[in-house]
Amino acid sequence: MTSMELWNHCENPYPFVPAEVLDAADSVRASLPNKYCDPKIAAGLYDEIWEEYRQCDDIGLHIVTNEHHSGINNLWAASPVITGIVASLTRKVRILSLGTLVTVRPDPVRVATEYATIDVISKGRLDIGFVKSGATEMVSGNANPIHIREREWEAIDLIEKSLTSHDGPFSWEGKFFTHPHVNVWPRPYQSPRPDFWAATSDLPTCAELGRRGFVNTLLFGGYDRTRKAYDAYKDARAAAGLPKAGEDRFSYMAFCYVGETDEEAMRIGQKIPWFLTVSIKSAPQFSKFQPGAVAPEMAPAAWRGGASKRPTDLSVASLIAQGQMFCGNPDTVAKQIKEFRQRVGGVGRIIMMTRQGLVTHAQAMKSFNLAAKEVLPQLRDLPPIDEERRAA
Amino acid sequence: MMNLEILRRGSGRPILIVHGVNPVSPKAPFLEPLAAHGSVIAPSHPGFGASPMPQDFETMYDLVNLYQDVIDDLPGDDVTMIGLGFGGWIAAEVAVTRPAKLRRLVLADPVGIKLGGREERDIAHFFNTRPDELTRRAWHDPSRIPEGCYGLGWQATIDERMSDAEMVTLARNWDSLCLYAWTPHMYNPRLKAWLRRIAVPTLVLWGESDEIVTPDYGRGYAGLIPGARFETIAGAGHHPELEQPAAFVDRVVRFMAESLGS
Repeated sequence: MTSMELWNHCENPYPFVPAEVLDAADSVRASLPNKYCDPKIAAGLYDEIWEEYRQCDDIGLHIVTNEHHSGINNLWAASPVITGIVASLTRKVRILSLGTLVTVRPDPVRVATEYATIDVISKGRLDIGFVKSGATEMVSGNANPIHIREREWEAIDLIEKSLTSHDGPFSWEGKFFTHPHVNVWPRPYQSPRPDFWAATSDLPTCAELGRRGFVNTLLFGGYDRTRKAYDAYKDARAAAGLPKAGEDRFSYMAFCYVGETDEEAMRIGQKIPWFLTVSIKSAPQFSKFQPGAVAPEMAPAAWRGGASKRPTDLSVASLIAQGQMFCGNPDTVAKQIKEFRQRVGGVGRIIMMTRQGLVTHAQAMKSFNLAAKEVLPQLRDLPPIDEERRAA
Repeated sequence: MMNLEILRRGSGRPILIVHGVNPVSPKAPFLEPLAAHGSVIAPSHPGFGASPMPQDFETMYDLVNLYQDVIDDLPGDDVTMIGLGFGGWIAAEVAVTRPAKLRRLVLADPVGIKLGGREERDIAHFFNTRPDELTRRAWHDPSRIPEGCYGLGWQATIDERMSDAEMVTLARNWDSLCLYAWTPHMYNPRLKAWLRRIAVPTLVLWGESDEIVTPDYGRGYAGLIPGARFETIAGAGHHPELEQPAAFVDRVVRFMAESLGS
């Protein structure tokens, strides 16, 4: 029997820049002047989201933080600060940092120190997630976008060793990072270390996550890409002779709104794809022409304009049909999530992106409440996956 | 020695061309006129064109050592090295090491050093600038970019006529350039102090309209190389060899003749 978890992912977007400014800007990340971010409005947003997190802690929704820089999509730029605050605000739920950007951070030992500290503050409620990052983040963080996957793995290895070494300083002289004297205090609360997650749909990377036993999460992958990613994870474990992974090793992030009625949910849910329609606008030098953005052999497709993995029809109905959004009354959403679980071959952890775009604080609180009280109970003690019914 | 793609034209004393953002195109209009005065040898850097990118080859230090090998392996002992843009940086670094066979150096709109204050950008950012803005800054008259030649702002010239193979090569070149030069962007903080070691006659050529690195930067650059001569070329931007090939070859050939035997 499987019991699924629900996680709340809010990036603290800042959707208050005038439309004419956004229309005139060639990028709403990396280069949009911060004069358009009113710190008084931002302070109010932080307060609202802390309140949402306290409610999540009360009702049993776990919390995800992340990190993006210099844009309207995200005010979690100082990610370790935010995650530390969440650790202090909450008492019961788990906290996933997904993540601080290890390909942008110059010193993974510092990252490990921050994570160990947060794990101690939260008394062992931290999960650590890794993302490869790219695009505008390389510009904002002045990080060479070439070889970032290799750099990410070295950073992960160094962070893991920093969190699990307890017998005095060790030395690291790697390709990307050197540190002759690593000795992190405090050591993490959890032993041997907090659980590791990584967000990717890149199949060789999913396979490596499988061999390492990390949680593999996908962001808006839809049915087919998600199933293929999970299969790559499972196949790699089988090939390595490792035990079968439980559904808690698989996670999926989707847009989500739970309303009292389907009609209400669809009406409010329509605000959420703002994430794709507005907050992702990026100049060509920060996207398709950024070095390393695509493998050279994929450049013709990307440059001719056909390689986007993003959905093109952003209506709520279409996003639901593609498995990129869960939206409706509690029964509808529970049914959608159960169907998704079935079609991707099992998934234990659903991350809901709800407070997005112009979704208000009150609307977010309402959806979280319904998700915890009326959806989550329907996701407990689920029967095993019917392998015959998986998506082709 | 690494197996590099090398474009060759003409015969006689070696004229080594160290290319900029993209390898020298076989269609480059300066090639044939220059080849009348020597053996033009234009390798593609590792990771550019058809040259392989060896494992763990990734810094300017690697390029400098590689080009010392290239010079050592050239016939005779009278090598002229011409560095273009990004390749001008490589050529300056190599010349600082005083290769035995190097007799003269030409730098055309090189990057590679930091001259201005910490809040002044000497070199327009190759990777973070819009392609149309790069084109405006890099060319005196973009309408006269020679067919099949790609300088800075090449992304703005992508159209349906460009083949997939060309795009794959341009993408690979761009990735390799970024690997070598993302940060500090297009310069070595230590090079400025060592340019004084360049011991061969040096001509620093500059497109008058270059707004990637301005002629003032060029004057400063030349002033750090003992005895270097600084000349501008009218009607050209960052790629004078492509925009004003006749004037470019004329200046180079005159300089070669003057320094013959030196």
